[in-house]
Amino acid sequence: MSGPAISTRGVTRDFKAGQQTITVLHGIDLDVKAGELTFLVGESGSGKTTLISIMCGILWPTLGEVEVFGTDIYDLSDDDLVEFRLQNIGFIFQQYNLIPSIDAASNAAVPLIAQGMDRHEARKRAVAMLEKLNIGDQAGKLPNQLSGGQQQRVAIARALVHEPRLVVCDEPTAALDAASGRRVMDLLREVAVAEDRACIIVTHDNRIFDMADRILVLEDGKVTHDGKHMPEDH
Amino acid sequence: MAFDIRNLSFTRQILPVIAVLGLVIAAFFILSGQPDRELSEPDREPPRAPEALANAARVAGSGVVEPSSEVVQVGSALSGLVTGLFVEPGDRVSEGQTLFTVDARQARAQLREAEAAVREAQAAIAEARSAQATASSQLALYRNVSDPAAVSRSEVIRAEGEASAAAERLRLARARYEAAQARAASARTEIGRLTITAPIAGEILAVNIRKGEYVSTMGGGGAQPFIEMGQTQPMHVRIDIDEEQAPRLALGEPATVSPRGAAGQQVQATFVRAEPRVVPKRSLTNSAAERVDVRVLQLIYELPASATGDGGIFRVGQQVDAYIPAKKGQ
Amino acid sequence: MIWIAIRMLTGDPQKFFGLVFGIAFSTLLITQQLTIFVNLLERGASGVYNVSSADVWVMDPVSRTTDVAYAMPSTALDKVRGVPGVEWAVPHIRANASVRTKDGDLEGVAVIGVDDATLIGLPKNMVEGSVDVLSQPDSVIIDDVGTTRMFPDASPIGERLELNDQRAVIRGIADAIPSFTSTVVLYTKYSNALNFVPGTRNRLSFVLVGKADGLTSQELVDRIEAETGLRARTREQFARDGVDFIIENTGIPLNFGITVALGFIVGVAIVGLTFSLFIRDNIKQFGALKAIGVTNGTIRRMVAAQAGLVGLIGYGLGVLGTVGFIYAFSANPTFKGFYIPWQIPLISLVAVTLILALTGWLALRNVLKTEPASVFR
Repeated sequence: MSGPAISTRGVTRDFKAGQQTITVLHGIDLDVKAGELTFLVGESGSGKTTLISIMCGILWPTLGEVEVFGTDIYDLSDDDLVEFRLQNIGFIFQQYNLIPSIDAASNAAVPLIAQGMDRHEARKRAVAMLEKLNIGDQAGKLPNQLSGGQQQRVAIARALVHEPRLVVCDEPTAALDAASGRRVMDLLREVAVAEDRACIIVTHDNRIFDMADRILVLEDGKVTHDGKHMPEDH
Repeated sequence: MAFDIRNLSFTRQILPVIAVLGLVIAAFFILSGQPDRELSEPDREPPRAPEALANAARVAGSGVVEPSSEVVQVGSALSGLVTGLFVEPGDRVSEGQTLFTVDARQARAQLREAEAAVREAQAAIAEARSAQATASSQLALYRNVSDPAAVSRSEVIRAEGEASAAAERLRLARARYEAAQARAASARTEIGRLTITAPIAGEILAVNIRKGEYVSTMGGGGAQPFIEMGQTQPMHVRIDIDEEQAPRLALGEPATVSPRGAAGQQVQATFVRAEPRVVPKRSLTNSAAERVDVRVLQLIYELPASATGDGGIFRVGQQVDAYIPAKKGQ
Repeated sequence: MIWIAIRMLTGDPQKFFGLVFGIAFSTLLITQQLTIFVNLLERGASGVYNVSSADVWVMDPVSRTTDVAYAMPSTALDKVRGVPGVEWAVPHIRANASVRTKDGDLEGVAVIGVDDATLIGLPKNMVEGSVDVLSQPDSVIIDDVGTTRMFPDASPIGERLELNDQRAVIRGIADAIPSFTSTVVLYTKYSNALNFVPGTRNRLSFVLVGKADGLTSQELVDRIEAETGLRARTREQFARDGVDFIIENTGIPLNFGITVALGFIVGVAIVGLTFSLFIRDNIKQFGALKAIGVTNGTIRRMVAAQAGLVGLIGYGLGVLGTVGFIYAFSANPTFKGFYIPWQIPLISLVAVTLILALTGWLALRNVLKTEPASVFR
């Protein structure tokens, strides 16, 4: 794999709050490599949500460029960007955001269906993915019939079912106890990390920092640390 | 697998099917329930303009069939009981034919009385004549006596007086005779007047008296005429034309006439005349309170013989619809 | 994705049925009220439509409708007959009279006198008896709604009525659309009608005209008006006049207009609120879908599909309800002849489409405004 999976150059983002303009990101330059579990860590308001949004193509930077696997994603048209996300990026939301009225397999199959795949074929693949995540027997259940952990696995299945090259995971362990959190992280490492796939996890859960391949610390819109371990003062 | 897609879902499958079925039923109901407002041809033939006039200028009118002589209402000069009735409706009569007779017994008695008086007068004449003869021969006898002493002067005078009186009596008897004769003639005339005869040749249209009824010369206001008759060969129609339409008429052109209720049977009627007077429209509604403000010109047309008579479709008094061509360019 | 959209919609039965109910209720209200409205208005034209064979109606210049007519002199008939293009013309009298019923009650009736010879002017069909009974003396034919009003229990055949001191015997029942006021109608011959109605000088209300082939009713109307100075109307125009008369002289259009508007507003309110709630409940899911990579176009199609399903079911049930209503009341004499003009379901379809488009658009605005980035908050 040549070159970084994601590279940002001079990414700056301003928000307007009334008369004032608040700069959330100050010219972020960084590269994320494929095949690594990359943590994006920061306090609330540090800009990590803004940064991850920009990196996965759902928020426009005020200035700067973002290349994902060699594509300047903010150079694409709106629809092409949407299509790019659909093909290349898998999302695991903190709230899972499963659709409550369709069963687990269908939820997991949503990206495939959105790509235009036949519904039954998509379900078949989604069930296979759920089986890989050890909840194949829950495929026919509605989200509200599943436990939180099972719902999260469905969300993970949905993020991976279309085999994206970038997986973005927002606070996967925030609602879990330490042991469960570690199990999820193990699972993610097992299924999400691959040779040609980048995996970015946004978190401020210090219980799992030791599982990262790389930790990026964001403070006041700047990257203040980049390394395998957290700095001592955290 | 409660939510397996192969399971039937009420909301996703049954309801839409019900809705679509409902729409189909509703569409059927709505389309089949649209009101019938098609125009239809009338069941019975209404009077139509003849083909030749269908799209040409024309004047329409309505009228009544009448005899060419118009209707003659036969009356009686004298009143009395009807003793003889010799015609029925529909009879054809010739001029002078007896229609009915009125009780003539009194007139006949007067005639007999007068005839007796005639005979009496004749007898009186004969008697007077013989008396006169006797008186004349006596006077002649006295006059031929040459000896004046043989006959007194007074005898002669008496004989002369008797002769003169006999002559007077004869004249009186003659006069009586003439008077009796005149009375008899009067009675005969009376008897003649009690026999009512047809004033013209024609057809009896109505007989409103029966034997034994009393006919009055007064006629009585609104009373029916005793006998109605008229010349029905040929037959005429009297057509009323609104005065506003009258100037458009092509007078002299034949009219197309059809009886009410048999509008399909149209005949051509030839022009006879237009009445000189424009008269108020006589409406045939029979309403007592009828008032009029419309005046009509009356035109008389002659119906063809084939359409009248026993086998014909036109009868006296029948209402007709008529179409008459208008003047060209009107 | 449409499949997912439908699942999302039906996954929440309360809101789904709320939406369907809203649409069905609006459809029912709009369709049913418009139907009754149109039918009531067309009562004003029933007098025209009951006469099935006349192309053109001729009347005095001041006459307005079948019931508001000024009589003409009887020669008007001949004037009309004299106009080229008039195939036939017959007299027609419409007048009001009072009749004394057996109970001694006074009932206002409309006496319609039809041409003696042709009987043109009678309704097309008879419920009982034949039109030939008019040839018997003093015969009248009553209309079927009049029957239910004057003789609710027994058959009116053979009943004697007293009209203007004249004897009238009912010998038939006609199948006629009742008038706006549902007045009892007695059909009789023209000559009888003159006796049954207290007279004024002129009695002829209308001349009914059949047109000759080769010209339109409108041409004939123009010709008759030019040549006779009378007012002539085609059948459709005169029917329209009757409707207009009701519109001008009653509050019906306003009342029904308000109800229809209410139906629309209630529909917008129920459907709009429910739809908004539904979308708001699912806004996170929509946001997630947008982040995953669903275009705004697809989102629009999804919402359109949801609106379409709600519309189809709601509209179908609403129209079915209206049809059921009309069907159920078709035996009631008040609703005799009521039908659903085919335009009305189309109008309510447009209204439903508008409601859904409006509320869908409002709901969609929220979805489209949602930043995909919001899913990370």
